[in-house]
Amino acid sequence: RRAGPGGPRRGQLFPWEQRGLPRTESATLGSEGLGDTDTQQSRRRWGGTGYGMGLEPLLEAWSCFRRRKFQRCAELCSQLLERPPVEQEPDSEYSTYQAAWSLKTRALTEMVYVDEIDMDQEGIAEMTLDENAIAQVARPGTSLKLPGTSQGGGPSPAVRPVTQSGRPITGFVRPSTQSGRPSTMEQAIKTSRTALTARPITSASGGYVRLGTASMLTSPDGPFINLSRLNLAKYAQKPNLSKALFEYIFHHENNVKNALDLAALATEHAQFKDWWWKVQIGKCYYRLGLYREAEKQFKSALKDQDMVDTILYLAKVYLRLDQPVTALNLFKQGLDRFPGEVTLLCGIARIHEEMNDVSTAAEYYKDVLKQDNTHVEAIACIGSNHFYSDQPEIALRYYRRLLQMGVYKCQLFNNLGLCCFYAQQYDMTLSSFERALFLAENEEETADVWYNLGHVAVGIGDLNLAYQCFKLAFVNNNDYAEAYNNLAVLEMRKGHIEQARALLQTASSLAPHLYEPHFNFAILSEKVGDLQRSLTAAQKSEAAFPGHVDTQRLLKQLKEHL
Amino acid sequence: MSLFKARDWWSTTLGEKEEFDQGCLCVADVDNSGSGQDKIIVSSYMGYLRIFNPHPVQPGDEVQPEDLLLEVQFREPILQVEVGKFVSGTEGLHLAVLHCRKLCVYAVSGTLGNVEHGNQYQIKLMYEHNLQRTACNMTYGPFGGVKGRDLICIQSMDGMLMLFEQESYAFGRFLPGFLLPGPLAYSSRTDSFITVSSCRQVESYKYQVLAFATDADERQTEQQKHSSGKKLVVDWVLNIGEQALDICIVSFNQAISSVFVLGERNFFCLKDNGQIRFMKKLDYSPSCFIPYCSVKEGTINTLIGNHSKMLNVYQDVTLKWAAQLPHVPVSVKVARLQDLKGVIVTLSDDGHLQCSYLGTDPSIFQAPKVESREINYEEFEAEMKELQKNIREATKTQDVLPKSEKHRDVVVTAEVSPDLDAESQAIDSEVKAEAVPSVTVKVTVQTRVAVQKPNLAVCIQAPLAVTCDQFLFDDLEPDSSETVFLSVFLKGNCPPSELEGSCLVSYTIPTELNPEGIPRVAECNFKLPLRLICFPAQPSKAANHKITIDTNKPPISFLTLFPDFLDSSEDDQANALGFQFLTGSKTTLLASKTSQRYRIQSDQLEDLWLITKELTLRLQEHFKKKNCKDFACTFSGSIPLQEYFELIDQHFELRLNAEKFQELLSERAVQFRAIERRLLTRFKDKTPAPLQHLDTLLEGTFREVIALADAAEENQTNLFQAFSKLKCATHLVIMLISLWQKLSTDQIAVLEATFLPLAEDTQELGWEETVDAAVSYLLKTCLSKSSKEQALTLGSELSMPKDTNRLKKNITLLCDRLAKGGRLSFSTDSATQQAVALPG
Repeated sequence: RRAGPGGPRRGQLFPWEQRGLPRTESATLGSEGLGDTDTQQSRRRWGGTGYGMGLEPLLEAWSCFRRRKFQRCAELCSQLLERPPVEQEPDSEYSTYQAAWSLKTRALTEMVYVDEIDMDQEGIAEMTLDENAIAQVARPGTSLKLPGTSQGGGPSPAVRPVTQSGRPITGFVRPSTQSGRPSTMEQAIKTSRTALTARPITSASGGYVRLGTASMLTSPDGPFINLSRLNLAKYAQKPNLSKALFEYIFHHENNVKNALDLAALATEHAQFKDWWWKVQIGKCYYRLGLYREAEKQFKSALKDQDMVDTILYLAKVYLRLDQPVTALNLFKQGLDRFPGEVTLLCGIARIHEEMNDVSTAAEYYKDVLKQDNTHVEAIACIGSNHFYSDQPEIALRYYRRLLQMGVYKCQLFNNLGLCCFYAQQYDMTLSSFERALFLAENEEETADVWYNLGHVAVGIGDLNLAYQCFKLAFVNNNDYAEAYNNLAVLEMRKGHIEQARALLQTASSLAPHLYEPHFNFAILSEKVGDLQRSLTAAQKSEAAFPGHVDTQRLLKQLKEHL
Repeated sequence: MSLFKARDWWSTTLGEKEEFDQGCLCVADVDNSGSGQDKIIVSSYMGYLRIFNPHPVQPGDEVQPEDLLLEVQFREPILQVEVGKFVSGTEGLHLAVLHCRKLCVYAVSGTLGNVEHGNQYQIKLMYEHNLQRTACNMTYGPFGGVKGRDLICIQSMDGMLMLFEQESYAFGRFLPGFLLPGPLAYSSRTDSFITVSSCRQVESYKYQVLAFATDADERQTEQQKHSSGKKLVVDWVLNIGEQALDICIVSFNQAISSVFVLGERNFFCLKDNGQIRFMKKLDYSPSCFIPYCSVKEGTINTLIGNHSKMLNVYQDVTLKWAAQLPHVPVSVKVARLQDLKGVIVTLSDDGHLQCSYLGTDPSIFQAPKVESREINYEEFEAEMKELQKNIREATKTQDVLPKSEKHRDVVVTAEVSPDLDAESQAIDSEVKAEAVPSVTVKVTVQTRVAVQKPNLAVCIQAPLAVTCDQFLFDDLEPDSSETVFLSVFLKGNCPPSELEGSCLVSYTIPTELNPEGIPRVAECNFKLPLRLICFPAQPSKAANHKITIDTNKPPISFLTLFPDFLDSSEDDQANALGFQFLTGSKTTLLASKTSQRYRIQSDQLEDLWLITKELTLRLQEHFKKKNCKDFACTFSGSIPLQEYFELIDQHFELRLNAEKFQELLSERAVQFRAIERRLLTRFKDKTPAPLQHLDTLLEGTFREVIALADAAEENQTNLFQAFSKLKCATHLVIMLISLWQKLSTDQIAVLEATFLPLAEDTQELGWEETVDAAVSYLLKTCLSKSSKEQALTLGSELSMPKDTNRLKKNITLLCDRLAKGGRLSFSTDSATQQAVALPG
């Protein structure tokens, strides 16, 4: 008969793993501008010294801006702006007022600046009301919507867990990791909205808004610039002011429509020769969901001037239009122009990874490391790739390197613990997990650690400990489908059929994309003689993982019975 | 993120609370010692000028006093220091110091002393220029290709370039389109000045062009003051789309001359003609940079410092090395110190000056210790055992809730007033009767301990309703009480299935360990009078549905049984009583004069229930008062199953309707969205196509959706009423079965649990399938005919059945089995049943 109880267990007790290392970049962005607290001190310093020398306020503000002391810079500029206009020089070409105003907009923008390329959030409404869909059934290898088509011989779900959209789990969490899209509105709404999978209804309600509200914090006495009273046409005439103003409107005020108006006027004033304005218009169009128009702008900008950023934006548009192959070609053209550009290489690797072509992705990540050997994302992805291709020792070395580089996170220790365990370095395993628990910042992370600990406990045969660990995993995270599944297997071993059944049903309703709960349910039902339900569950399992040999064997057997 | 840190060769901290910026660091052999040894010149915004010549005996040594060659304080802040051949007639290096409104050039010289630390250094002012405008930064070089001397160009805060030919002022030019100053550099190969303007462009101005443009202001006699001229012609422009931090122009032997621009987000290398040679997107905020040499043919190495305290070494775009610094550098230089080539000199914002070199010193990242106890295996073992015991006990006792205390700390009581309200409190009642009566309930919450956040909720099953169902009290003192009054009335237009309500108080009791308080609840039930929903009426003889209840005692006069419905004056009506429900239907109660029977009759089956229940309850109460213990009611006739099934079918049909409406609604919604999408593409099109009545279609679909939603809502109301009726009838059937088979209270409880699930009746999980599952479970367990039937195959997920035949068959079977003496008891096999949960 079948491989016995060994069969199901191996299948489903996989390490839930590595939900990645947060990007270091965004972590620093938040604190840079706002964390500057020495403002008062320094003012006292300048005001109180009896030397009577002091720098010109504008010069000091300018210097502060260069040193990224934006808070102080903005304050100095405000003081300048509050001065009575009499003091202004009657110079028509130039005025201190304008300079201070422009510097302040720049400082305020820099405080909240996040690279637009990394911003990617697709709401449910955007996804389902997407009128840009080109082919409903795309050819394999040309679309990101069909995750199942793996040509690169990537690892099977039996070895490497998959995300909700059916892609292998990546080693690095980035904003677009959860990009698989449901096909209909109904399905989108019905997908269980757990803490980890929740996406905003529209992107307008998501992260953009949170970024935009930064303006409320920085200026308690109302906004610095009243956008509705701004004569955009006037500012568009002044190329030295308008660019800073645009960035302020776009990044700080998050008012895309006004920004677009300004950009349109300005590009007209520049006689459509300034690539920068075209890129900005493209950014606005992208935010507004007009991808084709954005594409036009970016392409036109690229004709004027080759720029890495423009290529990245254009590729982002192509990805949103679900044309990964075009994006890949674009990246490759970009690499011809800018050889060895890390962001381009990384973009290629990400696309390959999303298209399930993990080995090619790993190649490109290695190229990234050749250019920049401190690239955290590349190290993490190669590490997790090695881990899932059964080379925990090599993965261990990558993760250790990350640790040496100062990535001190719960997820890293989690991964280190798992690698140690699989590399049979048992002495380090528990202490790694101990650190991971110590570093866990939220309950999801704690749950991950307990889940992996349970996994280790199963590995060393301490089923009691495993039982408690899995329980703790879903005490911390109620939606932990994998923990439910594994607990069910333990219950099955104990002979508590009903409990196991209930747990498996919970697991499969929480995470329909996992094949393990379905398969286990099929086995369980088959054991108690409920062939009908065994068959339906086995079919579900087959749908989730078509290549699973045990499922196929079970199905064959069931069909003989029926 | 780096593996290594820059190795400290020599470092010091300058001054206290001084500020430094990019121009404050300069490295050169400023005293013309001729040894090729560089000195480090540092100036500060506080006006200090310091010159260092570090010579540590060992790397990382303390600063020696003699390392500081010179320290001078000026009265004005120093913006920038540069070293060059600034004095005419000599090729010796001199020091240019830029103040806000002044440019000074000094000669630095040293006098040898007798002993080694006796060397004495001093500066001598060679010349100075007072500036009319606030300076910002400067650059120098052999402008116009002069040999052997350097000229100085100062950029002012308001955009004027002031050129000085050593001791004399040459001319000043305004930069066009100026707003804020950018970095400035001079390229000797092309003899031009390169800056990044506020338009975010790299702009290159030929010195020649600058010089010739002076024609315009020759007539202005006053020197620097109002010099302005015709528009400058830009040599070339490159739009980089961002502001720049610094510009460096270098040419090394092996590599072609290049212009390096460090932007805020990118790093550019430009050719002499302003084309991009390469660029690199930086994923950090850079702070300073310096291209320092060319190691490989055709490539240039660059040091870039950033705000994450890192120093990256790039060979063109490839990262060759990354080292951690102890501070954020604002300026970085490469110097030759003490015969050591390539020392990296960095200066931080707050005056940390460091000379370092790269090496494989690991950046010592000490992971903080995890709080862990000393491992004592015996203790651990004991603790583990203890914990496991606790866990085992906790899992064994299936009762999750703690035992209720004997005397409750908080008691809630509800008192229903015996009379209806004189003035009805009913609001928004849908009942179409002339007057909807209401009855007052007085709820009292008494407490013996201090209670936080008491919250009273009054639950009453629709269609009955209360005037207010939520009360929030302030925290209660010990031994205090709160009383509220509320009124109950009939709201929905159908008879209720039970005349009961319940009050629930939730509160928290704070303890020492848990100041937030432990949540607790107290509850009580109350009964409502029959008068609330019906009033006396003329009895009617004829009716569709009749049931007869037998008793073992002679009949009691209705005058004693229903004093609230009968006036004592009309004693001729004593054996017939009519009830008129507020909803319109009528029920008649008849007492047999000869036998010990009562008959209840009505046109609707469901209306019988409340009256029957009231009758049996009042009879029981009556005989209890008389201390007559052997009173019993029985029912002999057949259970009115057919009529009951009709009600089930009614309810089921409405559910089917609801499903149909739902499907239709989602269909229309899909259609609506499709039309919306089409319209959207039409509107977005550059050349708008005619709408082709899409708008009409949109509006039509919208109307349909609304109409469907209205219909679904109405169906929902009907469904609710049907369910209410069904519940009444179910209660009646249960009662009749129990009277018929003389079931014990336990058995009645089982029947009630079977037929009246606590779950709400919803579209996904309705009454039919729940009851069907429960009844078939009963049939398979305690009512099974043989052990063969006991094989448990629990039904799969509950879903709405296609029809009600199976349910009807099972209910009939249940009655049959009960009639044949089946017992609803789980006592014999309770041990095995515990593990089996009810499906669903």
